[in-house]
Amino acid sequence: MTTANERITQELRQRARQLLESGQVAAFVGYTSGSMPMVMQPFVARTPEETDRLEWNSFCVLNLANYLPALLKSLEPPRRPGDPPPEGPLPKVGVVATGCWSRNMVVQIQENQVQRERLVIIGISSRGMVDRKKVLGLVGHADVTSVKEDDNSLLVKGPGLEQEINRWDVIRDNCACCVHPDPVIFDHMIGDLKGERKLGERFKQVEEIENMSVQARWEWFTSEIDSCIRCYACRNACPLCYCPTCFVDDSRPQWVGKSIEPVDTAIFHIIRAYHCAGRCTDCGSCESACPMGIRMRILTKKLQKDVLELYGTEAGMSLDTPLPLSTYKLDDPQDFVLTESLKGEKK
Amino acid sequence: MSDIAKKQAEWQPKIIAFLCNWCSYAGADLAGVSRYQYPPSLRIVRVPCSGRVSANMILDALRSGADGVLVSGCHPGDCHYISGNYYARRRFAVLKRFLEFVGIEPDRVNFSWISASEGEQFAEVATEVTERVKKLGPARHLVKEF
Amino acid sequence: MSTPKGSVLVVGGGIAGVQAALDLADSGFYVHLVEKSAAIGGSMSQLDKTFPTNDCSACILSPKLVECGRHLNINLLTLSEVLSIDGEPGSFKVKVRQNPRYVDVDKCIACGNCAEKCPKKVPNEFDLGLGTRKAIYLRYPQAVPLKYAIDPEHCIYLKKPGRCGFCEKECPAGAINFKDTPREHDIEVGSVILALGFKPFDPSRLDFTGYGQFKNVVTSMEFERLLSPSGPCLGHMERPSDHQEPRKIAWLQCVGSRDINKACHGYCSSVCCMYAIKQAVIAREHSESGDVDATIFFMDMRTHGKGFEAYYDRAREEGINFHRARVHTVLPAGNDNLKLRFTGEDGKLREDEFELVVLSVGLETDPQVMRLAHQLGIHLDSDSFAETTCFQPVETSRKGIFVCGALAEPKDIPQSVMEASAAALEAERILYPARWTETRKKEFPPERDVHAEPPRIGVFVCSCGINIASVVDVQAVTDYAWTLPGVVLAQNNLFTCSQDTINQMADIIKKENLNRVVVASCTPRTHEPLFQETLREAGINKFLFEMANIRDQDSWVHQNDPEAATIKAMDLVRMAVAKVRGDDPLPYNSVTVTKSALVIGAGVAGMTAALSLADQGFPVTLVERKDRLGGHGRKFFRTWQGQEIQPYLEELVDMVESNEKIDVCLGSTIQEVSGSVGQFKTRLSNGKEIEHGVAIVAVGAESYKPREGRWNFLYGKNPAVHTLLELDQKFIKGEIDAKNLNQAVFIHCVGSRVPERPYCSRVCCTHAIDQAIHLKETNPEMDIFMLYRDIRTYGKREHLYQKARALGIIFIRYDLDNIPRVTEENGRLRIEVKDPIIDADVTLHPDLLVLASAVRPRDDVGELSKLFKCAMSSDGFLLEAHMKLRPVDFATDGVYLAGLCHYPKPVEETIAQAKAAASRAGLVLSRDAVPAESITAVVNLQKCTGCSVCTKVCAYHAVNMDPNTGKAAVDTGLCKGCGACVAGCRSDAITLKNLGNEQIMAAVEAAMDDIQAGQGL
Repeated sequence: MTTANERITQELRQRARQLLESGQVAAFVGYTSGSMPMVMQPFVARTPEETDRLEWNSFCVLNLANYLPALLKSLEPPRRPGDPPPEGPLPKVGVVATGCWSRNMVVQIQENQVQRERLVIIGISSRGMVDRKKVLGLVGHADVTSVKEDDNSLLVKGPGLEQEINRWDVIRDNCACCVHPDPVIFDHMIGDLKGERKLGERFKQVEEIENMSVQARWEWFTSEIDSCIRCYACRNACPLCYCPTCFVDDSRPQWVGKSIEPVDTAIFHIIRAYHCAGRCTDCGSCESACPMGIRMRILTKKLQKDVLELYGTEAGMSLDTPLPLSTYKLDDPQDFVLTESLKGEKK
Repeated sequence: MSDIAKKQAEWQPKIIAFLCNWCSYAGADLAGVSRYQYPPSLRIVRVPCSGRVSANMILDALRSGADGVLVSGCHPGDCHYISGNYYARRRFAVLKRFLEFVGIEPDRVNFSWISASEGEQFAEVATEVTERVKKLGPARHLVKEF
Repeated sequence: MSTPKGSVLVVGGGIAGVQAALDLADSGFYVHLVEKSAAIGGSMSQLDKTFPTNDCSACILSPKLVECGRHLNINLLTLSEVLSIDGEPGSFKVKVRQNPRYVDVDKCIACGNCAEKCPKKVPNEFDLGLGTRKAIYLRYPQAVPLKYAIDPEHCIYLKKPGRCGFCEKECPAGAINFKDTPREHDIEVGSVILALGFKPFDPSRLDFTGYGQFKNVVTSMEFERLLSPSGPCLGHMERPSDHQEPRKIAWLQCVGSRDINKACHGYCSSVCCMYAIKQAVIAREHSESGDVDATIFFMDMRTHGKGFEAYYDRAREEGINFHRARVHTVLPAGNDNLKLRFTGEDGKLREDEFELVVLSVGLETDPQVMRLAHQLGIHLDSDSFAETTCFQPVETSRKGIFVCGALAEPKDIPQSVMEASAAALEAERILYPARWTETRKKEFPPERDVHAEPPRIGVFVCSCGINIASVVDVQAVTDYAWTLPGVVLAQNNLFTCSQDTINQMADIIKKENLNRVVVASCTPRTHEPLFQETLREAGINKFLFEMANIRDQDSWVHQNDPEAATIKAMDLVRMAVAKVRGDDPLPYNSVTVTKSALVIGAGVAGMTAALSLADQGFPVTLVERKDRLGGHGRKFFRTWQGQEIQPYLEELVDMVESNEKIDVCLGSTIQEVSGSVGQFKTRLSNGKEIEHGVAIVAVGAESYKPREGRWNFLYGKNPAVHTLLELDQKFIKGEIDAKNLNQAVFIHCVGSRVPERPYCSRVCCTHAIDQAIHLKETNPEMDIFMLYRDIRTYGKREHLYQKARALGIIFIRYDLDNIPRVTEENGRLRIEVKDPIIDADVTLHPDLLVLASAVRPRDDVGELSKLFKCAMSSDGFLLEAHMKLRPVDFATDGVYLAGLCHYPKPVEETIAQAKAAASRAGLVLSRDAVPAESITAVVNLQKCTGCSVCTKVCAYHAVNMDPNTGKAAVDTGLCKGCGACVAGCRSDAITLKNLGNEQIMAAVEAAMDDIQAGQGL
């Protein structure tokens, strides 16, 4: 019996090999195992042979969309400033995409960071990925030397350690509340589309905080980010944080201090999250990348919830839906406007 | 009156008000022309359009020590630049909820629509915002000590 | 004719007069604008909101008035009247009497101290007597000129010199002049435009309304003032008797209109249906209880303009009641309420009680205006409106004198604005050789390059008499300003805006080598241009300037807290200094103008526009997709006034073809458009490349052909069924043998006012009735039935409706639930329709069935609108820049629209609109260069990610992605400097010159600095 992920790995290698052999793509982006258990490494296959190194398992957590703009750029003929854009079709890149990654690519396409026609997307309907930190927590942060996956369980081994863990107990937070596991754009699918997941408590984490008092929320927020060392791993892992000069590095104007004083850290996290408003597809890369275990995803999840409530849209669901903050409707909600709420109170 | 209450009554917050040039700034002028009195807490920054105001500017005001922020533009449909206030409305709706989520008191950051003929409304809003901010006391959360 | 005069007299300072004056003054003519009251603004300034956008009337009007008041080439003569006009087109001699204001406008600072101290209260005519004002007064808060005037009728001093005189004592500027006398001006002009407006009908002539007897019966104009925030109850809607908010309000339509018996006004006033709906909607919005029952009693609901029908639909959805009934008695009821007695369509008598009754009064010509018209030799028609014709809609009976606005016929604001531009065009057509001969131009010395200099800031703190100084410690503020970084001079002035201080400021700038200036005084909205001009006179770029508003936003609003007001003034000065420190000199951008026009569409609108420009010497390329000139107009028989259209059209075609300035391109369409105002480049389908400074879009519309569906009525199946235009064709060709027809039926609203086309096609009622009259006059024996929903013969067209009824044409109303049923019996038509008056089905057997089918937009206007970056409304018609005040401009500068592509309209309105478009285009073509915004967006290519948010939020299409760099690029010719792109950009890659994030942050951070101990206070 092979596991679902093993079957995916097989088909993925085949597809990628085919694409490279036929010359349809110049490179294929996927994952390969690293030296550490539970840490997969993004991998670019450039020859058919290299596709044998591709692997798919529950630890492919960082969003591969993050590598696309630079990879595509590297495949273009060199240009000096002022040169006209190259003529004719440019080399393509093949890439694996789950639901959230594909939605992320949609946003990247809408924001001109990648071009749809240069991507060959192999879609995988996501079964959810495993949170390495949760596994480590369950085994008491013991040394782990290998993890063997089954469809529903993980066998974790280390010196003096052999523990079977229910996969669904250690699923990543973003995957646990994901309702769109299917890719929205793809050229080939591996396996079937699963359809929308019905989930009663999609925004549970957010709602818990919303229900706190304003003071308690401030305390939650500051304690959550208290350990932040401003390493920007979250920003770097995010495919939508692509500004050449990030606001944190800007000195004219200087929006935020560079220190790890609480105020500076708080403003950093507020702006970082707000910049993702209406764009974040909840791939969870930021959180997975954070060395300090900060749950900054809750911030972007909150923004996702509000944008959905206010404007009925979610980022990346289709190439034709404009990004919510670059569009408007005449009758958008405005009860937050003081003059409107005062009018309401009078009535 | 208790000491705290007295102190609160005396304390005059500083509120940064970003007003669009065509409607709300004109409304503030009309409040003056009509001599509607309101508390001396506002520091008005004239901007071309409420659509010019970004989340960063609002955060910057708080970081600089403003006890409150007011952004005011033309009523929907009246924007001098056709649609600036519509984009602003989305930007602010999302920002306001988000700031409240991380623990910034709802009354710190305020938005309003005030037209050029609404002098009295401007005074009302200025008074209302001041009262609300006064109740909260001086802002501390995002204030950067330089 | 010898060289004409280069100036024009405009009589009447309402919106029409103001628009005509601005169009003329901006295209090279000197304008004398005569207004009888103390301020311009006219009736529009009295309105609360305007339909159908619910825009605040004063807000949208004010900028135009201010522009008019400040214009170097408009001589504003308020409190003035025209005595006589002699001469001929090109050279008129005008006598104007200007009545004394008793206030020196050069000195008055509009502080209002005079009015506060004036002991004499008089009814305020601006509020129609509902409120009071003083004997010294401002006509309204935003008045232009913003100068007080003394009312000699009521001034105690003027009546009995020696008494009172408080205003003179109180005035800090010494502006009161009791010795002022009337002056007579002799003015020479080349042309005259009359924009004398209307007077609301006085319903005290009609006893049944109860007006004048019961306090809670008010006119619609009075109700506007009750709603207005600047009105007598400050926008808290109150009824007159007890100042309580009325919870149940009735509107009575057609008071003084469509009434030959009692009011002697047979015409329809055109605007009352819409303003009543607007008032009902706004009343509910204004209501503090949130619960107002609004009922409109009407005969026909006439919502025939752009966006009106949708507004009516929404009002019904929102629960406003519409009763098709004529109220015949208004009786008193308990509690100051009113009891209305009315007969419904079913003939039954009913009663209902209301807390307030609003009379939707019509528009009529003021008797004083009638006298003036008589003096000037201008013919008025039987309704006392200026006589015009459909083909010459703004020409009066006297050559060289033109008319616009409600003086020619009752009409709404956009129509008046359109005609104002059209009238300006007619004047320009006579006077174009004298363009720029009488205008004045301001010259400035070359500017000093201050780039390398460290900031040397001068701060001028104004006392504004005592307006600021009585509250704010101006000396302390001045002392404080000295301490601020970069400030090398600070001084206090009594009146910074007075001519001598201005002169002195220019000297100081030069002597002290100042390179930046801050004035702490009143509001930049009124005074920034004045001080900026002073900088330019002193050789400094005008953008190196900031104002601190320490009067309107400080001393006036903190009168009881001088200490806080002084601290606030210091903060405001510190903020302005922080901001000005970062200001850069900016270029006075301009775009060189290619002095030729592109006109798209060669129907009546396009040809009229082309001729209007070519006659002034501007080359025009006229593009027509079909292979002959004439357009939709080819299909029409005659105007509602009875003039035949085909001979007129032939004449127009001849004139276009023989005009050497017009290059006609038939069988061509637009393929590609680039550039912006002043410099467009357009490629046609025939490969031709055209460079042009402006474009006029006049591509027309189509007639709806109901080939299927519920509006089919056997059209295309039975030969006796025609559309209006098909019948017109038969009239033109003489193919109708009316003598042998026994019965004709017209069905109105075929495909209009339905969910799929939710607008009124405006022209069909009049057109159908005129055809019916034509048939009936040819064969009086014929039975003619009109099956209609509402008859919308607006304005003077109502006379046709009356005539049709008098001729015995029968009108049967139907509604959407009871659409007439048309069937065939042995090839003969059979129509069944329910007559609501007898409440029974009527069966008809016509030999002719005419369908008044909708005017629908052309399917290809969408592509054209994209090419020119113009907007479209949801109906598929092209959308103007502003529905009220910019009816022929697109939001894209340099592109204008006219004719049916804008909205269905009759030929007279099409002609007026085409001329208006030509006038607006003339504003560009008459200059060598057009100014462009200086405060524009700039892209930092290092930071730009090419994400294109900026291009999406820009309403002007001024930011686009450069395909070469993949990054944003700003077209400064299109950028208006709103900053939507700046706020949208996450990367700080796009900024506004002098309004960048850094500069705004500098002001914000300065606001938060504390005043150091020992400084100032």
